[in-house]
Amino acid sequence: MAYLSFREVSYAVGERVILDRLSFDLERGETLVLLGRSGSGKTTALRLINRMLERSGGTITIDGTDVQSVDAIQLRRRIGYVIQEFGLLPHWTVEQNIALVPKLIAWPPDRQRQRARDLMAQVGLDPDRFGHRFPHELSGGQRQRVGVARALAAEPALLLFDEPFGALDPVTRHEMQQQFIQVREQFGGASVFVTHDLAEALSIGSRIAVLESGKLEGLFTPEQFLQAETPTARAFLNTLPQGLGPPGARTPRT
Amino acid sequence: MDPVVWRSLAADIVSLTGEHLVLVAVSSIIAICIGVGIGIAGTRHRRLRNVSITVANVLQTIPSLALFGFLLPIPVIGGIGQRTAIISLVLYSLLPILRNTIVGITTVDPALREASTAMGMTDRQLLTLVELPLAAPTILAGIRIAVVTNIGTAVIAAVIGGGGLGVLIFRGVASVDTTQILAGAVPAAVLALLADGTLGYLERRIGRL
Repeated sequence: MAYLSFREVSYAVGERVILDRLSFDLERGETLVLLGRSGSGKTTALRLINRMLERSGGTITIDGTDVQSVDAIQLRRRIGYVIQEFGLLPHWTVEQNIALVPKLIAWPPDRQRQRARDLMAQVGLDPDRFGHRFPHELSGGQRQRVGVARALAAEPALLLFDEPFGALDPVTRHEMQQQFIQVREQFGGASVFVTHDLAEALSIGSRIAVLESGKLEGLFTPEQFLQAETPTARAFLNTLPQGLGPPGARTPRT
Repeated sequence: MDPVVWRSLAADIVSLTGEHLVLVAVSSIIAICIGVGIGIAGTRHRRLRNVSITVANVLQTIPSLALFGFLLPIPVIGGIGQRTAIISLVLYSLLPILRNTIVGITTVDPALREASTAMGMTDRQLLTLVELPLAAPTILAGIRIAVVTNIGTAVIAAVIGGGGLGVLIFRGVASVDTTQILAGAVPAAVLALLADGTLGYLERRIGRL
């Protein structure tokens, strides 16, 4: 059985259909990239998973359990979430920010602290140097490293990323993508990653779901995507500079 | 001035300053509890927010002397004395506290609210761990305005037998005695400056955290 499963999932606001009968499966260890233009419904699909939005139809299951049957607060504490705007608490130190979910689920303080320090090291931040800093004392890339560490803190089995590196400069973004790939290998769970950056999708996705106007246009491996003939996939491929494929496209990772 | 008169005036200043402080402290504490409480609830219920802001706005437009007068004939809460004065001061202090509480909380960065909710915070945790700490400087700024205004308005409490430094001022006005007027006005101004300085310092301290 798939770890995360969407079956005919719809979301509508009044008469307006935002997501139309979306179905896909995701296994542990996989990274599914939701790729689409602005307004295609990819962020909506992501937010249905942790019930930041409530679906209008269909079923979403995690490890065989319908997300609707679980208390939303408990569900969210078991799912890591990273957003583009970082969302770090400005009045908390880096260490406190990372230990947020462990604090909510009442881990002992020593364990919270140790976990935060371990994760800082894992995402490339020296715990002694950065642990007591506040978010405004960090660069954008460093803040997003804290955001990723925070999402991993309570050892979730599922991670959701909503265009996490979209606000970063291209070099920092590339570094963060590489960091993400490393962290994912240690993490071992499933990830859903929303982006409209094709190079990012090709380099980090094990599969790419292309969304257009709330519908799933196709589900591809990165290699298949490069040959895809669907309109949105072609439109994205046409944005690549002639003769310059993204470096990750030829060596997709899983 | 005759030393006996001076001693009597000094004793009046001390006791009336004490009364003034009681009026301001009691009314401010009640206004903070009501204003912050309704303000927080108002951030969760749009209708309550609109109604409470409108009511507080209307109260603020009533001239302070008239508000004291309006309350006099009302049973239970009205009548001559300190209680009526405190109720008037509470009503008069509500708007800045209520408005700043609502503004402070509703202007918290939506990305923070989004991330905190998505991490699994309950509404109560969102309020206590995120919204109130971040809104604290704004709320305190409202309290500061309310308290400093309150110290000035409390002078009028003397008109309805509420005591305080207004007693000296009104006595001075009635007898055209500048010394008595100053004996009431100067301590009231000093109290206002002290409150403004102390609360301003606290506001800056909290804002730096």
